[in-house]
Amino acid sequence: MAERAAPLGAPDKLAFLLALVPYLIDQVRVTVTEAAEHFGITPAKMRSAVTLIAMSGTPGADGTYTHETLFDIDWDDFEQRDVIRFRAAPMEERPRFSAREAAALLAGLQRVAALPAFAARVDIVELMTKLARGASDAPAALAVRPGERAGVHTTLVDAVAAGRRVRIDYVSTRGERQVRDVDPIRVEGVDDAWYLRGWCLTRDAERTFLLDRVASVEVLGAADTHTTEAPTDALFQGDADDETVVLALPATALPLLADYRGPDDPVRIDGDRAIVTLRIAHPGILGRVAARVAGAVEILEPPTARAAVLEWAQRAIAAQEAQETPSTDR
Amino acid sequence: MADSPRKVPVEERLFSLVLALLATEQGLTKAEILSTVTGYAHRYADRGDRANLERQFERDKEELRDLGVPLETLDAPGADGDTKLQRYRIPPDRYQLPDDIAFSPEEYALLRLAGQVWREGSLSADARRALTKLQALGVRIDDTVIGFAPSIRTRDAAHEPLQAAIDRGQQVTFPYLKPGLDAAEQRVVSPLALVFHEGRWHLHAHDDGVDAPRTFLLRRIVGPVALTGGVASRRTDAEVTVRVLDELARVWQQTTATVRVRPGSEADVVLRNRRGTEEVEGGLLVHTTDLDILADELAAFGADVVVIAPTALRDAVLARWQRVVTAHG
Repeated sequence: MAERAAPLGAPDKLAFLLALVPYLIDQVRVTVTEAAEHFGITPAKMRSAVTLIAMSGTPGADGTYTHETLFDIDWDDFEQRDVIRFRAAPMEERPRFSAREAAALLAGLQRVAALPAFAARVDIVELMTKLARGASDAPAALAVRPGERAGVHTTLVDAVAAGRRVRIDYVSTRGERQVRDVDPIRVEGVDDAWYLRGWCLTRDAERTFLLDRVASVEVLGAADTHTTEAPTDALFQGDADDETVVLALPATALPLLADYRGPDDPVRIDGDRAIVTLRIAHPGILGRVAARVAGAVEILEPPTARAAVLEWAQRAIAAQEAQETPSTDR
Repeated sequence: MADSPRKVPVEERLFSLVLALLATEQGLTKAEILSTVTGYAHRYADRGDRANLERQFERDKEELRDLGVPLETLDAPGADGDTKLQRYRIPPDRYQLPDDIAFSPEEYALLRLAGQVWREGSLSADARRALTKLQALGVRIDDTVIGFAPSIRTRDAAHEPLQAAIDRGQQVTFPYLKPGLDAAEQRVVSPLALVFHEGRWHLHAHDDGVDAPRTFLLRRIVGPVALTGGVASRRTDAEVTVRVLDELARVWQQTTATVRVRPGSEADVVLRNRRGTEEVEGGLLVHTTDLDILADELAAFGADVVVIAPTALRDAVLARWQRVVTAHG
């Protein structure tokens, strides 16, 4: 596990100390480096944690800390050989999970359990039962049920594992059908949307493709390896030809535009209306944004965008009305 | 150490408190704890600081309980509720992970992947601490298990306060923008469970305003979740999440619409990839848990989609486009 960037709070540090003690006692004798690796922290942090523990203990019968009630380590081993060995420990219990900690893992398990790579290898029900028994209270009311995935999903996961190049039939956000050859890097999921991240040979760059927009997949020969100059965690990058539009919507409905708004897109609250500036990749997305909140979004600027949205909605209504009204409901 | 003037870090004070309370059989009174345990003792002599120290102890107890440490309060015989005589302890058998709980390297790898599902928010912190505690078991990572990480965002700002209210049995109020409406209305509910279904977080609650059970979409809770100060009218139970998920699955199975799409269009590809979609005479049969949500999704496809049935959905989609025309004409 990589070292985390954000500083951890006191509950995290306490959980770490409570877990570290039984681990060190179980190991009997372990190097600072090995213990640090196991917990994914730096050796320096491991040394200061061990020092803290070695100076801790329980107040004795008369309320003072004495040598009998303190943790005791082999200081020579620790200071000269960077090795941790306890000689006495007033506590060695492994902590239970809190109800919420167990719930977070249980709900996460329900999500990953559906992955074909694991279904056959681990008895999920047994694992979940063990986790629930390991909590200090009944796990909190939280559950996840993943949807089943379409066929392209399995094909692409297999292609990633086998290192194969794929040819995908893809419909872009502009509504254009494209055939792309891709050397897959991985399939990744966010919420219930899955993405293929890979090296697009057509664009000669790393790209992500929403699996929902993949019409079909053909598996080709072996994939090449590619090096990206600047690997990024962002799923999508803005384009230079994005158009800036200004729109208004009821202020309470603003959160529903979260998927379309960039972190720097300005917003102004005017009474009960929110005035939002967005960068839009192409006019086709405008209709989607406008229809999003039960049709309560109004494009203010530029006039060409207003006209495009008006025309988009009129065409949609015309197409719907051209359809004969069904005689019976179903 | 008890009289050391140095500043004791929070985690060292909490760690010392756990050690002291685990070691005592009959329990320690508050005065005994504050006067002896590292992190409190050096401040105990200062009488002016006593009230602060006691408040510190109250917060520390909550901190330990949040971390799953079973902190017991024992009343003195014949002195129920007298906080001066109450004794505190952590029973080792309730603190300790049962001895027969062990995880194979493969199970451990799967648990780590399960913990990584949560990328943000309170669940991510809970999962991270659970993984830290798992490390106490010293299981080595099985590198042969190839993990590709699906993740669930809990960025819906309502998630954390709702989870806390469920845990504590509190009634809450929030503005809810019902699918199909364009203005939010304030709801007062007793929250019971958070469930993730078909890519969306749902809150199942008893709506105290209409005195009936209701399921809400978290992303449509459009303002802050606030405590009413009242106690929840219903308590949650272990089976509620299963019941809610089964009910959502049943509604999803039964609620269908028939649409025609322009061949090869984005609507065609996306709806065919949607779970449960079947080709039927005259178009595609798609499933949903809520026709108003489906109306939003379909309206976004514009002229590439035509609703055949049901009529209510056709009207809902037409109304959305009509409003776009009205706003821009």
